[in-house]
Amino acid sequence: MDKITPIRFLKLLGIYAKIDLAWLIRDTKYAIAAITADMISNMSAVSAVFLIAIRFDGIGGMSSDEVLFMMAYSTLVTGLFIIFGNNNNIHVSRIIGRGQLEHMFIQPLPLHVQLMASGFGPFTGCGNFLVGMGLLVVSIQRLSIQVTPSWVLTLFLYLLATMTIIVARSYLVSTMAFYSPVAAEEISSVAIEGTWMLSTFPLSGMPRAIQLSLITILPEGLMAWFPAMALLGRPPLLGAYYPLIFAMLLAAVAAFAFKKGMKYYVTKGSNRYLPYGFRR
Amino acid sequence: MYRYYYTAKLSAIEKTNGGTIYLLPDILIKAFTLIPLVYLWRVVMSSGVEVGMTMSQMISYTYVSSLLSEMLVVKTAATGWLSEGTLLKLYGRPLSVLGQLSALTVGRWMPMLLLFSLPMTLLAPVFGISLIPSSVWFFPSLLLCISLGFAVDCFFACLSIKLRNMTWLIDRIRMAIIALFSGTVIPIRLLPFGLDQIMRFQPFAALGGSPLSIFVGTADVRSTILLQLAWNIVLWPLALLAFKKSQEGMVSYGG
Repeated sequence: MDKITPIRFLKLLGIYAKIDLAWLIRDTKYAIAAITADMISNMSAVSAVFLIAIRFDGIGGMSSDEVLFMMAYSTLVTGLFIIFGNNNNIHVSRIIGRGQLEHMFIQPLPLHVQLMASGFGPFTGCGNFLVGMGLLVVSIQRLSIQVTPSWVLTLFLYLLATMTIIVARSYLVSTMAFYSPVAAEEISSVAIEGTWMLSTFPLSGMPRAIQLSLITILPEGLMAWFPAMALLGRPPLLGAYYPLIFAMLLAAVAAFAFKKGMKYYVTKGSNRYLPYGFRR
Repeated sequence: MYRYYYTAKLSAIEKTNGGTIYLLPDILIKAFTLIPLVYLWRVVMSSGVEVGMTMSQMISYTYVSSLLSEMLVVKTAATGWLSEGTLLKLYGRPLSVLGQLSALTVGRWMPMLLLFSLPMTLLAPVFGISLIPSSVWFFPSLLLCISLGFAVDCFFACLSIKLRNMTWLIDRIRMAIIALFSGTVIPIRLLPFGLDQIMRFQPFAALGGSPLSIFVGTADVRSTILLQLAWNIVLWPLALLAFKKSQEGMVSYGG
């Protein structure tokens, strides 16, 4: 097993970046079509909410520019998700459900390192991130936000917390695929894509019970609304540090459940492949 | 007709093969999305901006849109039939391919209609939502919407044949376009910058947004149904022609 140092990890990311660049160069037409599809898909979701905000001159006490800022944050999250999740490494129930985890066992690298590095696609995956950065700059100018180093650090921490929540929740529900690979193969898609629309809702002005349930049971409020409000200087409900604490707790629970599922998996194996190679 | 009925039944049963428990995440997410969406519209509409719709109309619109979501934006198995090898099954049976696609799609609607739409319909009075259509023309409009949905789906299926392995891309772009242009997420009349006037005559507007507008009583029934009829008359022959020409170009290595 290779020793993993920060330099070694960066080199691994470099390998995947090279593979991604090779795709872009060798199959440019398809790669550009994929980038465009990602951008159109995200812009459709965020523009719907933004158009409502313009038509109604804001939503629940948030001005249309504040909604734009929230949509910028949401687009940045989508961008990061695509940059780091290009290879089903975040939709991990597909890897587990399809019996592909074994492919990773034979690599001379720890499983978690492979999963962290294998989805890196900075060239074909950067479209939404760049759009998000553009929207962020426009909304910051329109809202006259004072951008200080501490504000940028806070933005970085919230993005990290949001990404942690997305990954942790996906891994948590994906543990079902260890026990029932066929039925739960797409469970991570339900957890990620199924709730994406909900994450673009500005929750300001909604009843407290709805807000609370959407930052605890189904944490869609932590995907864009809560961090955006906190970055605008009005952290809602449980205080500015809440997303960071929630992310850490969820990650701990997901790690525990995933390890338990792995134990079951290495004992029982996967029933997805027939001896002559076809998938059931 | 029995053969199509059994195809639909098979499709409905197939969706629950892993046990209905595995449909639970989908059902919960749909419910958890619908309830905040209803409250979001309550917040938005309480701003007092005049948009030609009352709050109760808007909430009924959103609620019905969620209950009938799969019918309002039809998506058949043809979306992924090249990559998943579904077409081998379809061409191996002594039935019309488009007929089978329709039966399979209708069958796939059933589990969600029974497990999500029916309970949520019963719960509607608890949320104070009226589910009585303001005109009986809602039902013909819904049928025309479904019919047009199959025609639009047929075009996208032909596009996936033409572009070979771009199924995923086509699906992403298609869902994005339909979500915005069909009026199922935001009623077209609520769009700002005069977009409502431009978008009301395009074919996607004759999908989900049309029956929903008739349901809540914000559309002119006659012109809406006529527009839906017109798009059906224009698009169906074109869809069939495109499908006939595309069949020879099918390449599948999925399964």
